[in-house]
Amino acid sequence: MIALGKFYLLAILVFLYLPIIVMMAMGFNDSSLYELPFHFTTKWYVALADNSQLISSGINSVVIALITAVVATVAGTMAAVALGRRVIRGKSLLQLLLLPPIAIPWLITGTAMLVFFFWTGIGRGMHALILGHVALAIPYVVLVVGTGLQTIRADLEEAAMSLGSTPVHAFFSVTLPLLAPSILGAALFAFAVSLDQFVISYFLSTPGFTTLPVQIYSAIRKGFTPEINAISTILLLGSMAVIVVFAVFARPGGNRDKR
Amino acid sequence: MPADIPVASTGTPSGVPARRGIPGSVATIALLLPSYAWLLLAVFLPLCTMFVFSFMNATPMGKTPIVFTLKHYQAFYTQPYLVKIAWDSLLMGFWATLSCAILGFFAALALARATTGRVRETLLILILLPFWTNGLVRVFSWTMVLREGGFLDMLLHSVLPDAGSIGFLYTRPAIVLGLVHGYLPYMILTCYIALVTIDDSILEAAESLGARWWTILGKILVPLALPGLTTGAVLTFVPVIGAFMEPRILGGRVGVTMGTVIEDQFTQAFNWPLGAALSFTMLAVVLAIFATFSGVLRRNSGAAA
Amino acid sequence: MIKTTRRQTLGLMGAGALAASPLSFGASTARAATKITVLNWQGYGTDEKWALEKFKAKTGIEVVHDYFSSEPEMLTKLRTNPGAYDVVLINSARTQQAANEGLIVPVDFAGVPNSANLSPELKDHANLKFGGKTFGVAWVWGITSLAIREGDKKPESYAALADPAFKGKVALFDDAVTGVAIGALLSGQDMNNPSDLKAVGDKLKGFKDNVKLLWSSEDQWNKSFAAKEFDLSVYWSGAAVRSKRNSKLPVEFVVPKEGGIGWLDNLCVPASAPNAKAALDFINYMIDPDFYFEWATKVGAPASASAAAMEKLPADDLNRVIHKQAYLKTMTIQSALPDDRREAFNNLWQEVKASYAG
Repeated sequence: MIALGKFYLLAILVFLYLPIIVMMAMGFNDSSLYELPFHFTTKWYVALADNSQLISSGINSVVIALITAVVATVAGTMAAVALGRRVIRGKSLLQLLLLPPIAIPWLITGTAMLVFFFWTGIGRGMHALILGHVALAIPYVVLVVGTGLQTIRADLEEAAMSLGSTPVHAFFSVTLPLLAPSILGAALFAFAVSLDQFVISYFLSTPGFTTLPVQIYSAIRKGFTPEINAISTILLLGSMAVIVVFAVFARPGGNRDKR
Repeated sequence: MPADIPVASTGTPSGVPARRGIPGSVATIALLLPSYAWLLLAVFLPLCTMFVFSFMNATPMGKTPIVFTLKHYQAFYTQPYLVKIAWDSLLMGFWATLSCAILGFFAALALARATTGRVRETLLILILLPFWTNGLVRVFSWTMVLREGGFLDMLLHSVLPDAGSIGFLYTRPAIVLGLVHGYLPYMILTCYIALVTIDDSILEAAESLGARWWTILGKILVPLALPGLTTGAVLTFVPVIGAFMEPRILGGRVGVTMGTVIEDQFTQAFNWPLGAALSFTMLAVVLAIFATFSGVLRRNSGAAA
Repeated sequence: MIKTTRRQTLGLMGAGALAASPLSFGASTARAATKITVLNWQGYGTDEKWALEKFKAKTGIEVVHDYFSSEPEMLTKLRTNPGAYDVVLINSARTQQAANEGLIVPVDFAGVPNSANLSPELKDHANLKFGGKTFGVAWVWGITSLAIREGDKKPESYAALADPAFKGKVALFDDAVTGVAIGALLSGQDMNNPSDLKAVGDKLKGFKDNVKLLWSSEDQWNKSFAAKEFDLSVYWSGAAVRSKRNSKLPVEFVVPKEGGIGWLDNLCVPASAPNAKAALDFINYMIDPDFYFEWATKVGAPASASAAAMEKLPADDLNRVIHKQAYLKTMTIQSALPDDRREAFNNLWQEVKASYAG
């Protein structure tokens, strides 16, 4: 059964990484029209090195995604705890309200934000991007952390409190460690939602401050070249490296979130 | 140290104790405020603006005089082909969600039961990482895999040189495949969160009582994973209904969905009111589906208890 | 409708910049007599740096730009920023609307000597006339028609799009106005005002078995064509030049017997232009054969409305080969669409696309 499970996971990984590998491979293919057969070249990476706009937009994307992940995770976790642990009148309504930001196509939300931000003087730029990205990420965080919370028994916290712990202390010492994997997962989602967010970024970015997806979609006008594959590959490998470093050095405990 | 304050507004019927120190309602509001205030400012107020637009006869830019009308909400009636598109979109969402649920549940189960520690953490990260690449680039890569003479065919022909093409780009399954690829990590993560807390002793007890694997699956594992499956289904089904990139790029001529119709209203036709009205209608449909679904769910679990 | 380079612009750019563009050209500049502001698509001829330097050296007039990314946005900018612009690019389908709203003034051709070289079919096109006067100087044009893989039999009619020989080998342009125009031409109707929309829809639905995909950007077209996903397609003349010249794709541009779907862009002077005289000087320079030659050969341009400019190109220049002067007589140019007709076109196109998917 264990072997079967491992094999199945491997199959899932192959499925998930198939297009990623193709993406990486095409970054080394000669044809600007992504034609096969494959002819190896590194010219797209060379071209990328000169494309300061693509690089700076890539950096902007990562910065905004980091800020979004932190802010949305903190705010969303707080809300999830309130929704999951407290008796609130109109709780279903509050939970229902999490759906429109996911359900309404981002195109509409983006247009709406643009019009509204323009009218209210919030305007465009990095602050507006963060405002929009965090708002989109919050529902994901609340839902993911909320799911985690459902599986943690509230009586553990109560037990801690009955032993003299303050509620805040009980939360931080008992619930939060149990919730850590969910929160981490939620943060990764928030990061991904922001990093891949195009429509809203498109509306809210200014010519001087754009993000990578905006650059990619704008590139469709001129024809996007394997440079896009090159920077996507670098970003992905970079994130992998960061995570590896993080996993090796930052968590000597290793098994902490294993029960 | 202030004495315990029973919180009036919350009767704590489910046995949740009021927190000591701060009145519970204040603490609750403090916890909820950042998220909901943020959503109010950045999503709900803008969407309200759009909701008002959806009752206008034309996009409120330019000189066209604005008249309030319900005509965009009658679109499903006046343009009956939209009903079929909406139905197809819902079906597409259903298949994508179902595929994600099956694939994701077992992947989460394998993660929770067949791996531990570092390996598990690494695998979990590896599953989430594809998310960090651009969606358009990912979908575009699929076209190169799926098209005739693409990577899939190359793979097949390296084994069976004489086989025909198995490329299925520009079909509905291709759209569903692209969507499943995009949303599967959500389902795996939410199911994993639900399954990882399962107590070994429960499964051991069941096994020692002679329960067969499908009994364990149906009576223990699936019910335990239910919160995760539900959240995953929401996170998949809801955005898939409005997706337009995957249908356009992977669907070719069959890639017509509510998402693309709505997108066209905003990008090509410059008819924001119609696009918004269609979108709010679909939102209502989605909410109705979930209301029914959660009602059924609650009744069943109530009956079981 | 729009034309080649900017057709690819995601439409939502328009929606985007529309509401929020910073109005950078308010009353900020105390205008010296030698500065004009041009409102155009970005990267569309008027903002070529070398050209502006040459123009300034010649006339002493400095040219600055503001951009739009959709036609509704262009009109909004004209309306809301009186006095900000001296020259504006307007598609001939929008000229009458702008003239009717009093946004632009009739052209004094005495100030535009190069206009003598303009092809008369374009210079005096009905789209540019309002109340008997001409409101724009014809600048560049192009055609939307058919493109076919080299070596295949050239289609004589748009009916080829429904020919079983091309089963699963056709790509259409995902655009309502173009789609309806093809259906109208094929059913013998006025493409700008088809009286029988149902016939248009039936013709378009007849392509169903052939349609492989609907393309929406030149880039997508190039990649799909290179991957041999289709052989016959609705395509833009200017893009065909680029696909053949820059991407080396084996494509041939064909205008069948029903004629092409033409578009014409013209340069206009806003009614509120602070410097109308210098504006005309600039427009004159823009239709100068010397400028066009450099633009077309170094950068890549649509066809010039100036016959002299087209003749300046080498006889075998792709741009000249594809944009045959003879087409000027047969093609229909896209004209103004009232809002309700535009909406009807859009709805019909959605219905057609739904039938392809069904």
